Amino acid sequence: MAAIAGTASQARLTQERRSNWTGYLLTSPYVIYNVIFWIYPFIWGSIIAFQRWNIISPEREFVGLDNFIGVLKNPQFWNALLVTFRFWIFFLPAVIIASLGLAMLLRRVDRFRAFYIAGYLASYTMAGVAYSVVFRLLLSGNGLINTWIWQLFHVRVPWFTNPRIAIISIALVVVWKFIGYYGLIFLAGLQAIPRELYEAAAIDGARAWARFWRITIPLLNPSFTVIFVFATILSFGIFTEPFLITGGGPLGSTQTFMLLIYQKTFENLEAGYGSAMAILMAAFSFVATAIVRKAIEREVAL
Amino acid sequence: MTNPRQLTKNIGQGIIHLVLMAGVLFWLIPFVWMFLASLKPTEEIFTRFWPTRLTLEHYQLVFRGGTALRRPFLRSVFNNLFVAAVETAAMLIIGAITGYALGRLEFKGRKLLYNAILYQMVFPGVLFLIPTFLIVIRMRLINTYAGMIVRFLTDATAVFLFVQFFRTIPRDLIDAARVDGASELTILGRVMIPLSGSVTAFVALFNFQARWNEFLWNLIVAKDYDLMTLPVLLASFTHEYGGGQYAGARMAGATILTLPILILFLLFRSFFEEGIVTSGLKG
Repeated sequence: MAAIAGTASQARLTQERRSNWTGYLLTSPYVIYNVIFWIYPFIWGSIIAFQRWNIISPEREFVGLDNFIGVLKNPQFWNALLVTFRFWIFFLPAVIIASLGLAMLLRRVDRFRAFYIAGYLASYTMAGVAYSVVFRLLLSGNGLINTWIWQLFHVRVPWFTNPRIAIISIALVVVWKFIGYYGLIFLAGLQAIPRELYEAAAIDGARAWARFWRITIPLLNPSFTVIFVFATILSFGIFTEPFLITGGGPLGSTQTFMLLIYQKTFENLEAGYGSAMAILMAAFSFVATAIVRKAIEREVAL
Repeated sequence: MTNPRQLTKNIGQGIIHLVLMAGVLFWLIPFVWMFLASLKPTEEIFTRFWPTRLTLEHYQLVFRGGTALRRPFLRSVFNNLFVAAVETAAMLIIGAITGYALGRLEFKGRKLLYNAILYQMVFPGVLFLIPTFLIVIRMRLINTYAGMIVRFLTDATAVFLFVQFFRTIPRDLIDAARVDGASELTILGRVMIPLSGSVTAFVALFNFQARWNEFLWNLIVAKDYDLMTLPVLLASFTHEYGGGQYAGARMAGATILTLPILILFLLFRSFFEEGIVTSGLKG
């Protein structure tokens, strides 16, 4: 009896051990790769931020907090924060109104819905480089859009050449890209709201406007939270559009964090300084996302 | 006889369709304009929407005159395809194997690893850009295909999606295969993957799109024209000839960059849409 139990547990033990090894074997490509190209760079990046190093020379010097202090004293860094904020404050309401409006219209139609979704989502599939090159010409001083506007109103909009407008134009381009993406997230949220709620409210005499503010907006909270968070993270990571369209100008008005980090690190070869900047930017992004999330997210019971 | 309520409803529907349709047309202007601009004579690019005549001169310039411009466009298309395909394949294979182990095997440390991968998904990429670049320099992979590819071999989100999907596959199927003496990799390849067509297609499409469109990393790694991917080559070309010069050639390049993904998107629309809704639920 004891012998049999012993063999059984022995067998289970080998089975388990074998399973352990299978697990390690199968996950090893992922783990090894990510130790080398994720954990190691993360640690190394944190160390470099405390060094002065120009990438080419073998000499590296430990400089303590100098890089961080240098970044915080650099007006360009604070300008990038301002640019990010200006982008965010325009992009967020614009993209939310546009995509929520789109989702509400899509919910009301039965026919051609797939066609409309495809039409609005196509912009999301276009490469950043491709649409940046296109919008740079389309919105240029003598571009087609300005030709049309001139014919209608006899003005030309300095889309990318006026320092007060340039970042708004870039935000518009990004709204163009994301309306279908965010619209789909809103549409899924709208479809999760039971229709009976609206019918009951209508019977109680609530007008469409009241139904929108009392039912739609509160119950869409999960979608709002996701989109606020996505849009905030995105605002800190803008690179391709200013890199290709404005180069950060005019007068630094589109000089985003990523553009600044790119120039400092890969053009000026200040690896330590760039790393410190990246860490500070990630910290700002993290705090901003946390604040936005805290401000928006509510418990919703459907 | 149509009753008045039905009529009001029909009018309402008509207005909604009108708004949506006008919006779609407006939204597609950049696509249509890009495509037309790549086919019309240079002088009409800024002045007319509809061309008076079509020409292939920009495409000829891009492809044949590529060497005259010192810009090997055709080669950059193949570079782009090669880099994106290798990266997507690696993400799929490693993602499926890892997802199978984490989703269907029990081993010590499994929970810890799974949580680490979930954590990875929300980590800002900017923190890795500079140190990974320095590693690539140290490995002497700068200005090589390997240097471009080596940054995107795994994807945490892909693993997460495979784990979620593999968990829904009935246990009996796996046990039956085990009784037949199938190895874990055989089970993965013969049982799990064939049943996971939708998630595999979605991971493949989304990653291929992202890798085909990738810009920043390939920009800092590729220095020679012969190595550049299409977005990088197009960007370097745009920086050199910013204004109206070669505008048509740029639009031809942008069209070539856009079309493959647009076609994939139109063919496999539902996977894209499903993926976006999933990403919304996940966040």
